[in-house]
Amino acid sequence: MTDNQEQLIKEAVEKALQGDMDAVNNIEDRVTRSKAKAALVKAKREAAKTSAEPSSKEKSEESGSESKPAPQSPNQQFAGIIASRFPKTVDEELSSETHIQLQSEKWLDIAQYLRDDPACLFDSLQCITGVDLGEDVGLEVRYNLHSMTHRHVIEIRIACAGKNPKIPSVEAVWRIGDWFERETYDMFGIEFQGHRDLRRILLPDDWEGWPLRKDYEVQETYHGIVVPKVKEGWE
Amino acid sequence: MGVFENKFQDNVVVASLDKLLGWARSTSPWFFQFGLACCAIEMMATAASRHDLMRIGMIPRSSPRQADVMIVAGTVTMKMSLRVKKLYEQMANPKYVIAMGSCATSGGPYWQHGYHVLKGVDLVVPVDVYVPGCPPRPESLIEGLLKLQEKIQSERPLTRKTA
Repeated sequence: MTDNQEQLIKEAVEKALQGDMDAVNNIEDRVTRSKAKAALVKAKREAAKTSAEPSSKEKSEESGSESKPAPQSPNQQFAGIIASRFPKTVDEELSSETHIQLQSEKWLDIAQYLRDDPACLFDSLQCITGVDLGEDVGLEVRYNLHSMTHRHVIEIRIACAGKNPKIPSVEAVWRIGDWFERETYDMFGIEFQGHRDLRRILLPDDWEGWPLRKDYEVQETYHGIVVPKVKEGWE
Repeated sequence: MGVFENKFQDNVVVASLDKLLGWARSTSPWFFQFGLACCAIEMMATAASRHDLMRIGMIPRSSPRQADVMIVAGTVTMKMSLRVKKLYEQMANPKYVIAMGSCATSGGPYWQHGYHVLKGVDLVVPVDVYVPGCPPRPESLIEGLLKLQEKIQSERPLTRKTA
């Protein structure tokens, strides 16, 4: 990019941030115009970040000084309950108002507690999701819990790193977990320890590999049937 | 019919046995009733009263032993492909296969990224007629079936094949 172009984009973005979108729209060169638009989006995001951060800090300070705490989301509320009952299991840094990040070691005990405690009564496991967050972070399992009695909902996330990820099974706690865990095992190869019947559920038993992992390589043949890999001339 | 013309009384038809067999086979190709995906809905619509497959002599049979034609209607997964092959092998000769829709002909929308989808049913069983479409309308399927009937009629099962 030439200096001239950069200068043009900078000026246009500044004008646009003040409300004059024509400055961007009137750039004649198509490439420069799209670059200017991208720069504008970036600038707007940064502006939103810097304005949001101090305000949230202020809020937490305010709620700390007042006697009434700010209304918590169920996730924050139950993160506190779990942390007091099972110390060192909740990862405070990674938990937020949308989910609770747990360590995997005591997960079975926590699950039992969440289902049976009268204040929690999470009698319904609604979904188990496996996520591959890439090489650096590894795999993660997410549980969506719901209580029919109290009608509260939480999401629990448990990371399981490594090539042979393992996690305690909650199939004995919530019976529906049986198939959910089998599906997650089928797609991600996460071993649910303590599961009574951990087999593949969708793919055939003799399938090789874990299809939803980022590093999945499709097998070349299946029972002598060729799986074409390179498809040139398509699209 | 050449030398036999008018040699017999009324109500006697003279034909070569090859043609007679072709006529009998092509006018009652009973099809194997099984659907795999959305194409099966169109196949059902074809068999239902508006398009009425029975007028071209086709009746759904639920057993491969009684069927002449297998309409592969839908996406064939790798897991299913072994079953499709087994069902084809259970059918009695002569047997025919119609690959209905783009999934059965080539893998269709799963061509590039469907790791578990068979890229065309012709990889496991021999296909006689391909019907394109996603899914094909009943008219297309009927067109394919009529083409298959033409093919069956043109066969000469009793004629010795010379290399």
